[in-house]
Amino acid sequence: MNRSCLWIRVFFFTCAICVSVPAMAGEPTAMIRKATDKIIGIVIDPALKGPEKAAERKRLVREAVSEQFNREEMSLRTLAQHWSKRTGGEKKEFVDLYAKLLEGTYLDKVEGYSGEKVLYEDETVDGKYAVVKVKILSKQGTKISVEYRLKKGIDWLVYDVSIEGVSLVNNYRTQFNSIIVRSSYKELIKQLKAKVETE
Amino acid sequence: MRWGVFFSGFIFLILCWSSIQTTCFAAETCEPPSFLRQGGGYGFLVQDVEGSYLVAVVDLVVSQEQIFSKGRALPLNLCRKEASEEAEEKLGGIPEGEMEVDFIPDPFEPINRIFFHFNDKLYFWVLKPVATGYKKVTPDQFRICARNFFSNLIMPIRAVNCLLQGKFIGFGTELLRFLVNSTVGMLGLMDPAQTALKLEKQDEDFGQTLGLYGLGPGFFINWPVLGPSSVRGTVGFVGDLYLDPVAWVSIDFGEWFILSGYELVNTTSLSLGEYEALKKAALDPYVALRDAYYQYRQNKIKN
Repeated sequence: MNRSCLWIRVFFFTCAICVSVPAMAGEPTAMIRKATDKIIGIVIDPALKGPEKAAERKRLVREAVSEQFNREEMSLRTLAQHWSKRTGGEKKEFVDLYAKLLEGTYLDKVEGYSGEKVLYEDETVDGKYAVVKVKILSKQGTKISVEYRLKKGIDWLVYDVSIEGVSLVNNYRTQFNSIIVRSSYKELIKQLKAKVETE
Repeated sequence: MRWGVFFSGFIFLILCWSSIQTTCFAAETCEPPSFLRQGGGYGFLVQDVEGSYLVAVVDLVVSQEQIFSKGRALPLNLCRKEASEEAEEKLGGIPEGEMEVDFIPDPFEPINRIFFHFNDKLYFWVLKPVATGYKKVTPDQFRICARNFFSNLIMPIRAVNCLLQGKFIGFGTELLRFLVNSTVGMLGLMDPAQTALKLEKQDEDFGQTLGLYGLGPGFFINWPVLGPSSVRGTVGFVGDLYLDPVAWVSIDFGEWFILSGYELVNTTSLSLGEYEALKKAALDPYVALRDAYYQYRQNKIKN
């Protein structure tokens, strides 16, 4: 009786380890970790320091950022019900403009990097979707929870980031929808262009 | 005496409520994926026939001792598969729920926008310059200590709301944190409970408690000075003032005003640049802020 109990426990314990270890360091987490390390590497690289290297630094970061995002998926999710009403050309135009806006936003965040630590907390995979939970630890002792949402195509690519529960895609969807409903899609594109150009 | 009766009644209510909560939770976890809801009972999937499910319906009786007690099995029923399950032409294969434009009602948007501009100017003309100057003359560590001190003071708000939400471990954590930080942490200036004992702050307030009880946010209110809130958030804020020692200790409005003002400047000095970033990333900063507030609060209530 006691012995079988023990064996059952050992069995479950082994199962738990087998299940949890690959889940903690799965492909999506590895992908986020690689991209994050690469971007931090660029930002803290002494060879790229200083205002005269700003353009070069920005280009490298922009590259590293854009290769981890699934631009089409993000655009589709952001425009939501307005997406299917767009023509092929309009879709392409939107994807490009939106990607530029997001890169700009991300660049500003990265430029302000001051030794924050990134802790990889959790990963859940559900079919071709995955969520990677990360905590960013600032030097002032504040913790910011960040969730990366990924979808598997050829690679795992990010389609949404939420910071403290505020999803980037949801936030832009609400903004864009409010502009389209109030005026028109054309007006949205006009505002997007203006925004991207000021950066 | 009357207070004693009131208090025990209150505790009794909390206990009742938490026991209801745990049974519901247990019932949810007991439900295997093959169970289908039908009417008041639960269907047990027997066979998946084309277009329909063959199910046996079991009435669910929830009792304290046993979740699935005295099930009454009905003859096998044929349940139609729901249309949504069969063929839902989704946009790019994305679940419908993830594409919704979910926003908080905003019937007073014109007024809210006026106060948004007011707060914007207040930030850039007054708060930001003051906080920047304050930041220059004080070391980071000093401002973090001040933040910790104020945060430690409002322990009652977090602790009581943990209790009201049935989070008893959270309640204990808050008490322990207060005990440790007020002594070893030098009146709350340091946070050894977090750094040494890994006791995380339980960020609960009355707005979240009301949300957990099922109260909706009502509509969006952008208060001058205080910023984005909702009907629920405002009621919660006022409720929490009754548990705020700063409001208790300061005898007149002037003292309270100075203390709160200082706290605001101190908090701002630690988060300079955040509002600017939000504004820069947004096409419509007002809508961006309103949505960020809404999503942030909804997420807080869930956790």
